[in-house]
Amino acid sequence: MTNDPPRQQTRTPESRTIRAVLAGNPNCGKTSIFNGLTGARQRVGNYPGVTVEKREGRWTEGSFQVQMRDLPGAYSLTSYSPEERVARDELLEGDYDVVVVVIDSTTIRRSLTFALQVLQTEANVVLCLNMADEARRSGQKIDTSKLGRLLGVPVVETAAHTGEGLDSLKAAILASSLQPRRAPQPEIAAVLEDTRTIIEQDDAAALHRSQRFAITIAGILDQVTVEAARPDSRASTTRIDTVLAHRWFGLPIFLGVMYAVFWLTFTLGEAPMGWIESGVNWLGEAIDTNWPGSPDSPLLSLLVDGIIGGVGGVLVFLPNIVLLFLGLSFLEDTGYLARAAYLMDRYLSRVGLHGKSFLPLVTGFGCSIPGIMATRTIENERDRLATMFVLPLMSCGARLPIWMLVIPALFAPALRAPMMWGIYLFGILLAMILALILRGTVLKGDPTPFVLEMPPYRLPTLRSVITRMAERSWMYLRKAGTVILGISIILWALTTYPRPDSFQVDEDIAAGAQLTEQEIDGRRSAERLQFSITGRVGTAIEPFFRPLGFDWRIVTASLGAFAAKEVFVSQMSIVYALGEEGAETDLQSKLRRDFSPRLGIALMIFMLVGTPCMATVAVVRRESGSWKWAWGQFFGLTALAYVLAMTAYAIGGLV
Amino acid sequence: MSDQTAASNLTPALEDYLETIYRLVAKSGFARVRDIAKARDVNPASVTPAMKRLDQLGLIDYQQREYVGLTTEGETAGRRIYARHQILTRFFNKFLGLPADVAERDACTTEHNLSAETVDQLVRLFEYMEVCPEGKDHLSRFRACSAVHDNVPECEHKCNSFTLITDASGTHRLTIADLEPGQRARIRQIESKGAVRQRLLDMGILPHVHIEVARVAPAGDPVWIKMQGYELALRMSEAKAVTVEPVTENSP
Repeated sequence: MTNDPPRQQTRTPESRTIRAVLAGNPNCGKTSIFNGLTGARQRVGNYPGVTVEKREGRWTEGSFQVQMRDLPGAYSLTSYSPEERVARDELLEGDYDVVVVVIDSTTIRRSLTFALQVLQTEANVVLCLNMADEARRSGQKIDTSKLGRLLGVPVVETAAHTGEGLDSLKAAILASSLQPRRAPQPEIAAVLEDTRTIIEQDDAAALHRSQRFAITIAGILDQVTVEAARPDSRASTTRIDTVLAHRWFGLPIFLGVMYAVFWLTFTLGEAPMGWIESGVNWLGEAIDTNWPGSPDSPLLSLLVDGIIGGVGGVLVFLPNIVLLFLGLSFLEDTGYLARAAYLMDRYLSRVGLHGKSFLPLVTGFGCSIPGIMATRTIENERDRLATMFVLPLMSCGARLPIWMLVIPALFAPALRAPMMWGIYLFGILLAMILALILRGTVLKGDPTPFVLEMPPYRLPTLRSVITRMAERSWMYLRKAGTVILGISIILWALTTYPRPDSFQVDEDIAAGAQLTEQEIDGRRSAERLQFSITGRVGTAIEPFFRPLGFDWRIVTASLGAFAAKEVFVSQMSIVYALGEEGAETDLQSKLRRDFSPRLGIALMIFMLVGTPCMATVAVVRRESGSWKWAWGQFFGLTALAYVLAMTAYAIGGLV
Repeated sequence: MSDQTAASNLTPALEDYLETIYRLVAKSGFARVRDIAKARDVNPASVTPAMKRLDQLGLIDYQQREYVGLTTEGETAGRRIYARHQILTRFFNKFLGLPADVAERDACTTEHNLSAETVDQLVRLFEYMEVCPEGKDHLSRFRACSAVHDNVPECEHKCNSFTLITDASGTHRLTIADLEPGQRARIRQIESKGAVRQRLLDMGILPHVHIEVARVAPAGDPVWIKMQGYELALRMSEAKAVTVEPVTENSP
């Protein structure tokens, strides 16, 4: 190897930009290192395969600027999940000066395999032994300078979450970019050379070479390990797993945990929801009372009914969404979701999915978009497509407002939490059935291997959970501020214009009908809405939805749900604000007055199953690579929703 | 990896290099770096570090850079490695009746992992098979009974007794899937193919590695195994393809 010209040339001091990439196994704390170095705020998870996007950041070091790219986690350069392929292509063909290989010190034996594979590429490598504090606590001591001499690369110990060693890492990156890599010890060089082809091959020889790898790694570790980890270093994780991953109790506990998350979401969210609701109402009334112009001004209507009514109606559900995201982030960061995948894999594999489908599906409870993006960790194309297809059936955060509107309006307090749980469960069951059908028909094929690492439990730092929760909540708020604001305005316009010149009710009065002032106003509003574009479209297709029990107002609101599911709620509030002037002021009371429980259930089934939002369609198109899948999913699920909602409504009518 | 007995502590790669040099020297009296590279199918430049190392260990004479000679110690070591290779190749080829190329490849795969004792025992087995009358008998019976797993009447009885013997001696096929929670074992072989095997290898499921089954999931699948320093879950379908040998509690 010493005679081969190194691919990375020595950089002269004049070139002041250093390009570095960050590579390593999933779950080795790579993203924390990245955050620590660049100061960027990113997702840090404890489940293999959280980093899906390519992330970039930079920092300056003296007169140098270092640009760093965070590669997706990979166990090997030989494997072919889409994520690992990205990492492999970047490492083998990418344009960079230094590779930082991050290793989880607590699983150094396994992680060195990947490090050695990267060393074969002859790039300038800096080896970063992360989670060094945890390894130290377990009693493990590594002679880093000896390891560096053996491999011919700088070795730095870090603990990303406390910031330990990050300065040394920065210095090592800089130093490594300025000088060519030293030669490793001859014995290791010989093995590296001999196993270089491992990246390209998959034949009988690969096993042989892997074995040599193992022997080499054992040899390296023998030389550099000053003190081995105490055998009981995983004791606390093991103790927790005896309960949480228990053969019989594990699954009930898991279902209980999910139930608790939803229950907390529902209960703790109630008070702040009330505050936001009163705030929004107060604002609307304040503007209404202090309006300087005429009370019939279109601008006032736009402001109060359109903007405040629409956006406010969605904003009310922010506490629920924050709490749900908080729970999911916590479960993800502790490492519990890997156990969930283990517990669920048998059932998922029976319906043709994969234990790894689990994280995307659970993420789908937050939002389908990141869920669909997270399917990239699934190696097999068919598993991935099946997961993607059924993912919108996971009741997403945007649908939460719909449940929060309909359930309390129609069901007794004692029934609310079970009802909520039931909807989620219904979505899950339906997804399983659908996946089974898909894997038996259009996506027929062999199941893929399931080999998943069970990381040690780690108490997530408050910062990482809060950061993640804040990011997701911010996404929701931004959607409320942009897409939903825009759509609220458009839908307000569609529900307001064209305005009728005359009213039927006036003719009735002229004909001698006796009506109160209130009744006259109500009829006028209703007529106005029916005269509008939305009212006309809704009325036109209403007969089609009659078997589901939907009237033209629900149909009209459902039209808006294509933009984003939560728009349904704001649409309903506009439709009802314009159409009615009753004693009931808030939407829920109006629903309580107008809806039967069976209509509520049919409606919820339709909203759960049907019409994935336009963002979902776009992301499925991007991730599956074809419009066929995106629209197939949209129309397939909508047709299914129609049939199911109709059935539910019909059955409800018999009871 | 200390140097007190240089020849007995070589890495597999270095052993292969030494064997190659021994064969070249035996054939033409000398070995050139270029020939070594050609025989091993690697880049000549990459042979250099290995040569330097072998030189350091006093096994070869690597002064003139192009020509490589063997020291006395190196010749002994090379002969031993070569002999071992020959024995294995012959075993696979003549006794198991595998084609020459398969025998050659498998010999390459296994040779580095066999202890001197095992090789000695193998040699004794060959002698028994070839020299002793009963051994010859067993060998011919084994060859006659090639359809071990088929329902061939005249073979069935013998095969049954054969299976019983191997069961009793504990060498029948045992996989991770057969282990109970709490049981420990050492991995023997990964029998799956292609991407599945690659994934298993990447996750550290390699021959000789010690594992312990920690628990199984509610439906008995997947199985959760403990390895050195980390833990994995794998499906039964994968576990069934990894053969193991049980390890008693006191083993390392």
